[in-house]
Amino acid sequence: MRPSFPSAEHCLETSGFLFSHPCERAAATQCMRCQKPVCALHMRMLDGEETVCVSCARTADNGDENRDASSSDYDEDDPSYYYDDYGYYGRGAWTTAGGSHDKNDFTEADGESLRREDDASFEEDLGGS
Amino acid sequence: MRRQHWRLYALGGGLGHLTRASALARAAVARGHAVELLTNSPFAPGLPLESLLGPGAVVHRLDARLDKPATVAAVTAWLTATPCDVLVVDTFPRGLAGELAALLPTVRAPRVLVHRDLNPVYVERFDVARAVDAFDLLVVPGEDAPFAHHPRAVRTAPWLLLDADALQPREEARRRLGLSASASRPLVAVLGCGRPEEVVEAGDTASQLRRSLDGRAEVRWLVPTGAETAGALAVWPALAVLPGVDVLVGSGGYNTVQEARATGTPLAAWARSRLYDRQALRLTGSERVVDAVDLEARVQALLEEAGAPERPASYVNGVHAAVEAIERVALSA
Repeated sequence: MRPSFPSAEHCLETSGFLFSHPCERAAATQCMRCQKPVCALHMRMLDGEETVCVSCARTADNGDENRDASSSDYDEDDPSYYYDDYGYYGRGAWTTAGGSHDKNDFTEADGESLRREDDASFEEDLGGS
Repeated sequence: MRRQHWRLYALGGGLGHLTRASALARAAVARGHAVELLTNSPFAPGLPLESLLGPGAVVHRLDARLDKPATVAAVTAWLTATPCDVLVVDTFPRGLAGELAALLPTVRAPRVLVHRDLNPVYVERFDVARAVDAFDLLVVPGEDAPFAHHPRAVRTAPWLLLDADALQPREEARRRLGLSASASRPLVAVLGCGRPEEVVEAGDTASQLRRSLDGRAEVRWLVPTGAETAGALAVWPALAVLPGVDVLVGSGGYNTVQEARATGTPLAAWARSRLYDRQALRLTGSERVVDAVDLEARVQALLEEAGAPERPASYVNGVHAAVEAIERVALSA
């Protein structure tokens, strides 16, 4: 039985890579599987025809819904098609259990590259890109 | 196909935005289109862009030192000068200074966003999702990005400024890098790009590597044409000579990383701090170094592995698929 969600104007997915928090963007559509309202950022297309939320997309990626592992190895629609080991976006990044560490996980060395995330210079520092 | 008039917005510091936009411009010009490219890269004045892009391209170079109001005024004048068939914006859907949010509604031509990764704090804080919706097409050049799953997004392989057949053969590239025909030592190239001060830092890195390698390899400090300085070798685009490079040392910018991967050039790179780009996420663990000691050890190890480098004979340049997708959008208007 599918869960039901009350009518909502906001996306009910969570956002944030390091610190998870409610998305709260305006919902653009409903997940075709669980009916959850989601914004464009948290919407995914499965097989080019099914609009689903990120959670259902992850579930589908686990191989339990019409997924052929052999053919998916060559799926150009997979964002990691061109890089099997591309950082945290790599193939399988969504399906790795939280307990293990990937070689591309963040380390202290990444702090320098990300230290400006709170920088107030966006759209002001024209040479800072 | 009818000759189209493309306008490419490639504002942004360093060489990255300009190089990616130049790849697109070069491929579009080769298809017979007229392209106007707008850049404020501090390196643009010294680069022979017109000769690389071809006779169908016009490059508008804004002074990188312009302040925000002056830059916005220049962009406004450029955008409203004459009609075009398509407007292509690199990376910044709101514009580098946020100016496109107000200007885009006045542009009648189809709009295309070249969509690469963006700092999620910026995406959240400036409602970039809304800005993205103003575009008719999002082209994702080989890397994942916040809106890569947008219904109007298409993905391509990474974009490169040159196709594989335009690269110099290994021996020719080594000569271009200052090695004689009889020289047998491997070559380490330290790429000076990014910010102007990082170009200078690359020179220090090259000196340090030269000392630590103690004659086991040639070391070259490469800088873009126009940024010549004592001890540096001006080569642009560096992609052309990568077949002659045994180990590339640089940062984790889009072009450096994609060019190294496409050509199979071993890369040792550190993640530079950027306002919008997240280089640490682009680099893999085997590519990324964390400090000078790590760099020296990695370069040594790569040189030991580089005895008989297996380089791909060719590569897919996603810029051609991008040109075709943009042509279709321009035609549909």
